Amino acid sequence: MKLTAKTAKHNKLILVLLIFLCIVWSIPTVGMLVTSFRDKDAVSSSGWWQAYKTPSAFTLANYDEVLGGQHFTVGTASGSTESRRGVSMASAFISSITVTVPAVIIPILVAAAAAYAFAWMSFWGRKLFFATVIALLVVPLQIALIPILRDYQSIGLNGTYLGIWFAHSGFGLSLAIYILFNYISTIPRSILESAFIDGANHFTVFSRLILPLSIPALASFAIFQFIWVWNDLLVALVFLSGSGQKMDVVTVRLMNMAGTRGTEWHLLTAGAFISMILPLIVFLSLQKYFVRGLLAGSVKG
Amino acid sequence: MKRRSKGLVVALILLLTIPAVWATGTKEAAATESNVIKVFGNFRGEEAARFDEVVKIFNEKTGYNVVYEGSPEFETQILIQAEAGTPPDIAALPQPGLMKNFAEKGYLKPLAQSVLDGINSNYAPVWRELGSYDGTTYGVFHRVSAKSYVWYPKKAFEAKGYKVPTTWDELKALEQQIIADGGTPWSIGFEAGNATGWVGTDWIEDLMLRTAGPEVYDKWVNHEIPFDDPAVQKAFSYFGEIIQDPKEVYGGATNILTTSYGDAIKPLFENPPAAYLHRQANFITTFMPEDIQANLADEVGVFALPAIDEQWGVPMLGAGDQYVAFSDKPGVMEFLQFLTTWESCVPLAKAGGALFPHLDQNLADYGNPIEQQMAKMLMEAKVFRFDGSDLMPAEVGAGSFWTGMVDYVSGRDVKTVLSTIEQSWPQ
Repeated sequence: MKLTAKTAKHNKLILVLLIFLCIVWSIPTVGMLVTSFRDKDAVSSSGWWQAYKTPSAFTLANYDEVLGGQHFTVGTASGSTESRRGVSMASAFISSITVTVPAVIIPILVAAAAAYAFAWMSFWGRKLFFATVIALLVVPLQIALIPILRDYQSIGLNGTYLGIWFAHSGFGLSLAIYILFNYISTIPRSILESAFIDGANHFTVFSRLILPLSIPALASFAIFQFIWVWNDLLVALVFLSGSGQKMDVVTVRLMNMAGTRGTEWHLLTAGAFISMILPLIVFLSLQKYFVRGLLAGSVKG
Repeated sequence: MKRRSKGLVVALILLLTIPAVWATGTKEAAATESNVIKVFGNFRGEEAARFDEVVKIFNEKTGYNVVYEGSPEFETQILIQAEAGTPPDIAALPQPGLMKNFAEKGYLKPLAQSVLDGINSNYAPVWRELGSYDGTTYGVFHRVSAKSYVWYPKKAFEAKGYKVPTTWDELKALEQQIIADGGTPWSIGFEAGNATGWVGTDWIEDLMLRTAGPEVYDKWVNHEIPFDDPAVQKAFSYFGEIIQDPKEVYGGATNILTTSYGDAIKPLFENPPAAYLHRQANFITTFMPEDIQANLADEVGVFALPAIDEQWGVPMLGAGDQYVAFSDKPGVMEFLQFLTTWESCVPLAKAGGALFPHLDQNLADYGNPIEQQMAKMLMEAKVFRFDGSDLMPAEVGAGSFWTGMVDYVSGRDVKTVLSTIEQSWPQ
């Protein structure tokens, strides 16, 4: 009796602590949300926590500019000024999806097959190859940019979506193989053996047994890779530039919207919320696998 | 069975969409690849939209397809692209050092005679020198900025009966008058993320031009005199007179270091003004509050930072992107030649926020009286020099000079600051 009362008290304490931590962690996001609805001068003259003092400064203009294109004043050849609307976020969104979806699917498929081979097939040099893949985990991608760009130029992949898919897949593969290997190698040998006795070949075992069984690991890697590619700026800048603005991904478009000296930074908050939508959907829909997947490979014994 | 067919459908959809999407991507690239002239630079957003109008005039006139693209990581990317052999056709380089670096490695194409003729006839000689390396000219300047301007809130300034100073002594007298009236003369802001301190380097460069003159300035920038030379100390002492007196600067030293360079203009437009004077380049108008920007000519006044030694007139400090060619595709030199004409400047001048070195410029084409006034000051300056910190090695110009200014404002003595910078100069 005494013991349960103590545990209950304990639990309450933990609950309070957790709620407190949640609030602290959400404060920056709340600040961003409030800021994204305030006008430019209000944002630079007072903090978001003082927003209630200037109710007239609330506006949807930031979202309008981000979604519908910025308002620019430009001079024309005839010597007059005109107002124009800049490119909107919509095309960048499509570009980002075009980059991200294959850049998540390709490494998952390749890595799952590779992990299966490393875990369950015996071939010459298996350990050496695996060690090489793991060693590649610590190579920073920045040092590969110039050589890859040079090769892409010679085979005409520079500035194409195919090129950036391969780049992202390559950079993501070693981590993917590592995570999936740890998971796949924990699948009980007896399951595979009974499949082989029933006459299954490696391909059938892989596609009918291994893939369905490793969905938690696949999903958690998919989340990692999706968020990494979606938020990536560097790789997109390097491999997709030179096409005017046609292939700008969301991150690049947002940076450009801020202007040369970042004077339009009030648009970043609205832009951030818009660019957050898709990763949130992906995360929430894969979340039930994610928690299981986080433990993927961790209990290998 | 049902499960299997579902999986099959997903796989089929994937197989079909991947090549389809890829095809559209490459087709787009292939169609534009052949006749596009790519121009790459660091200006983005509204500035890029304004430059697009310049490009449009050229494309309509000549039938070429010039496309401009800006990037937030331009300096890194252009290095990667040049090294990897995938440079744009034309790049707008902000630092002359970058041009020299590329020219030395043989990446750049020398300008054609038609472009050189344009430069010789329409620019002061200093611009050709800034675009040259080892006797060959590679760069064309187009839009430039000038930095030796002092801004003031016109209405409040005139209401107090203050007069625009034309000499350094008059400026000092004006500062004393403002202090006597209970106001603060200067607003200064150094903060700029990892570039904090550059505002201070501009001050010192301006003061070097005014106290030591252009020849000593050039020697200083090229390290022919040490960084801790007495001439530099003298320039620092003029700056020290301002920043070391808490009455002179709004908020004192702490405020200088923590105020962002873009926000430092804002105290001028408070009511009553928290400060009356702000020294900054022409781009600062874009940081002014929206209602001030809408009414620039009535709200804002500007004058050139007065001369200290009259023999060099009122020197102008400035900077600008130079356009260099990485390829000799047809149309590249035509475009660079087009940039030497006033016609290519009109749309930018009209929209505002830009100044030009072109000798045949028509002041009436500038969008507002303030810019006409600034352009006139730039054209009349006998001495023009490029921002020295952009010409110095990056270790100093984008490193120890910046941090040195921060140290100086925080109260370190000038000798220590200067010898620290001197020691950081690469041998």
